[in-house]
Amino acid sequence: MAAVKQTIEHVEALEAYKHGFSTDIDQEFAPKGLSADTIRFISAKKDEPEWMLAWRLEAFERWQSLEQPTWAKVAFPPIDYQDAYYYAAPKAKDGPASLDEVDPELLATYEKLGIPLREQEVLAGVQGAPRYAVDAVFDSVSVVTTFKKELAAVGVIFCSMSEAIREHPELVKKYLGSVVPTSDNYFACLNSAVFSDGSFVYIPPGVRCPMELSTYFRINAAESGQFERTLIIADAGAYVSYLEGCTAPMRDENQLHAAVVELVALDDAEIKYSTVQNWYPGDKEGRGGIYNFVTKRADCRGARSKVSWTQVETGSAITWKYPSCVLRGDGSSGEFYSIAITNNRQQADTGTKMIHLGRDTRSRIVSKGISAGHSSNTYRGLVSAHPKAAGARNFTQCDSLLIGKSCAAHTVPYIEARNASAKFEHEATTTRLSEDQLFYAMQRGLSQEEAVALLVNGFVREVLQELPMEFAVEAQKLVAISLEGSVG
Amino acid sequence: MSLAAAIRTGEVAELPSRRDEDWRWTDLRGLLRAVPPASPPGDAAALAVGPFAVLAEDEVVFLNGRRLMGLDALTIEAGAPRVLALRFVSQAEGTAHHSDFALTLAPGAVLTLLESHESAGEAYVADSALDIRLGEGARLERIVLIDEAADAIAVDSAEVSLAPNAVFAQAVLTRGARRQRSQTRVRHPGGGARVRLDGLYLPAGARLADLTTEVLHQGVDGTTSQLTKGAVRGQARGVFQGRIVVEERADRTDARMGHHALILSERAEVDAKPELLIHADDVACAHGNTVGALDEEALFYAEQRGIPEAEARAMLTEAFLVEVVDRIEHAGARDVARAWVAEHLREEA
Repeated sequence: MAAVKQTIEHVEALEAYKHGFSTDIDQEFAPKGLSADTIRFISAKKDEPEWMLAWRLEAFERWQSLEQPTWAKVAFPPIDYQDAYYYAAPKAKDGPASLDEVDPELLATYEKLGIPLREQEVLAGVQGAPRYAVDAVFDSVSVVTTFKKELAAVGVIFCSMSEAIREHPELVKKYLGSVVPTSDNYFACLNSAVFSDGSFVYIPPGVRCPMELSTYFRINAAESGQFERTLIIADAGAYVSYLEGCTAPMRDENQLHAAVVELVALDDAEIKYSTVQNWYPGDKEGRGGIYNFVTKRADCRGARSKVSWTQVETGSAITWKYPSCVLRGDGSSGEFYSIAITNNRQQADTGTKMIHLGRDTRSRIVSKGISAGHSSNTYRGLVSAHPKAAGARNFTQCDSLLIGKSCAAHTVPYIEARNASAKFEHEATTTRLSEDQLFYAMQRGLSQEEAVALLVNGFVREVLQELPMEFAVEAQKLVAISLEGSVG
Repeated sequence: MSLAAAIRTGEVAELPSRRDEDWRWTDLRGLLRAVPPASPPGDAAALAVGPFAVLAEDEVVFLNGRRLMGLDALTIEAGAPRVLALRFVSQAEGTAHHSDFALTLAPGAVLTLLESHESAGEAYVADSALDIRLGEGARLERIVLIDEAADAIAVDSAEVSLAPNAVFAQAVLTRGARRQRSQTRVRHPGGGARVRLDGLYLPAGARLADLTTEVLHQGVDGTTSQLTKGAVRGQARGVFQGRIVVEERADRTDARMGHHALILSERAEVDAKPELLIHADDVACAHGNTVGALDEEALFYAEQRGIPEAEARAMLTEAFLVEVVDRIEHAGARDVARAWVAEHLREEA
């Protein structure tokens, strides 16, 4: 009940979007627009080897031959890809060697966002409190990565993508683009050409990563897009839990965020990937906000490997993404837990793909969609079993909750079973908040908003339980904030 | 984009392809290089007796897209319940034809429509379109038996619109064809109108059976109940696409959709897309979807009792499918449907 109480307290002290400030900091940009020269500029800025530049340019060439897909249930005006900056970075003095050299403005930004960049601050907490390492990505570059030494001691590599390309080219060459190929889709292809920073994680065989790893993405510069690239490799028998958070300033313009996340799990490895997505959602009339067009995919390459995606999607003007699992290894399993909340004019088309290729592969999907205001919320998912996926099992549950008369909730599952021993079960419901329950809660002295928060928290509890502790509390607050003003 | 348009214009480009989202599992464009020539009139004297012959009072017959008797458009007046047989017969080889029929039920009219798609040819392309309108309080039960040739391409489409308090119930039973789709689109006004949309598919060999439905709830107080079951054998494919749309202000809609399928052989496939598109908040909508194999324990039990494996499989599959048949209200049609299922389940896959 403590968490519920906290939510209620939080609802009382609501601010619409508390991460909406922008930081006034000296930044440098790539020339506006997108061309082969922009890509050369980015690559040179990052001091990349020749092979990386060639890879980017090839992707750019492919991207020019692709057309933007239109099948999703989202509507937005055409994007002018020439009218944006593809690289924006705080001006640095040869890359800060320690935190003391990082621009104090930046540190203040992260402090304001509540992200601990100083290792001692994390340690200064309650005795025995969980610690987590942070890679902070500010527009196009990673400003700092914490706990690197301690992680290196157990062989874990946790660094920015730029650094990985320089320091661990053999790993990057082997795995980059092996899960999401360059030409996978329009936005992944664009990302392959212009990606800036993101996190790189490698967990060596048999190692259980000693702490939670996390990346905090922040868009700050105006008229820019963020194109981060994340690659996580869990070698045989390894385990890692990774968290991702994101925020952006409030602006009238729409900004594009087209990321690619690739996960590779080898034999008996396990990756738990959690996202709390809180990009600026735009205002009540739908002005501004982030276009969150992201490709996230996990390759359960090894036998008995496991990947679990948990996402809480409350932000972005438009969310269009499907964190997926390719269940290639025999006995591998994939999980997808999602809460997607849309309010005002937000649009979300999100879900997952569980592609069963190996024998005895298992997957589980729990999706909770909540739409309020004039928003539209779509669950779209694919569950498929290959003829060789004997004994494949899937269970899918999609529940949608509608709050208000003008919102929409859609459920579009695709099921393709090509195996006689596959067993797929899917159930979905769409309802509104029960008036009886609201009445009951209000009878007990809760205000209408408190009662809604209470019921909604109950509705999404199954997914919240899957989140790491410190995120769960944060996510619960977010749920309440996102629905502010949706009733009455 | 439709098969009807392709037949009318002779343009292959009119054929729906897997690039069309609603046809991704039932590709026609990839199958036909050219639209076949028009079917000849056919021999009326060679016409067999229809599957519902003993039950119907009246009969409307289309042979190769041409109407043999009855009218192109029929209005049923209010009064005693009527039973009408509607037959689409293909007596063609390698040719194409299209049929159109319109049926109106006056307010208060009651009709059982026994529709059959029959084959006396091969490798033909058949398309039929039905326009059905139900007046206030009218009741229609439509039972469709689809028995096309294994190498045929056949699409039948029905557009159904209802007035308040009308009742529309449907059961489509199909064995599929090289490509076969039965699609029904219902405009549901709410206002106490009720819709039941059931389907059953049991394709074997290399057949494909596709049941596609769309219900548009456009007013308050509408009810839809949908149950589709299928069993696929050999290398056959079963496709189910069900879409329920609840438009803005269509409050107090109650819509339930179920699709359950059995895959009975290693190379068979089931593809399903049960969709809910909801634009109103005071609704109760749900769907359930399961795909799996026969219960091995039940099979073992039956074999223990001395029932040969093939027969045991047919029995268990029949027991699984018959739930759909049992929902048919017209007793005579229900018996015909049950016998039809039993017969085709025991055919060689």
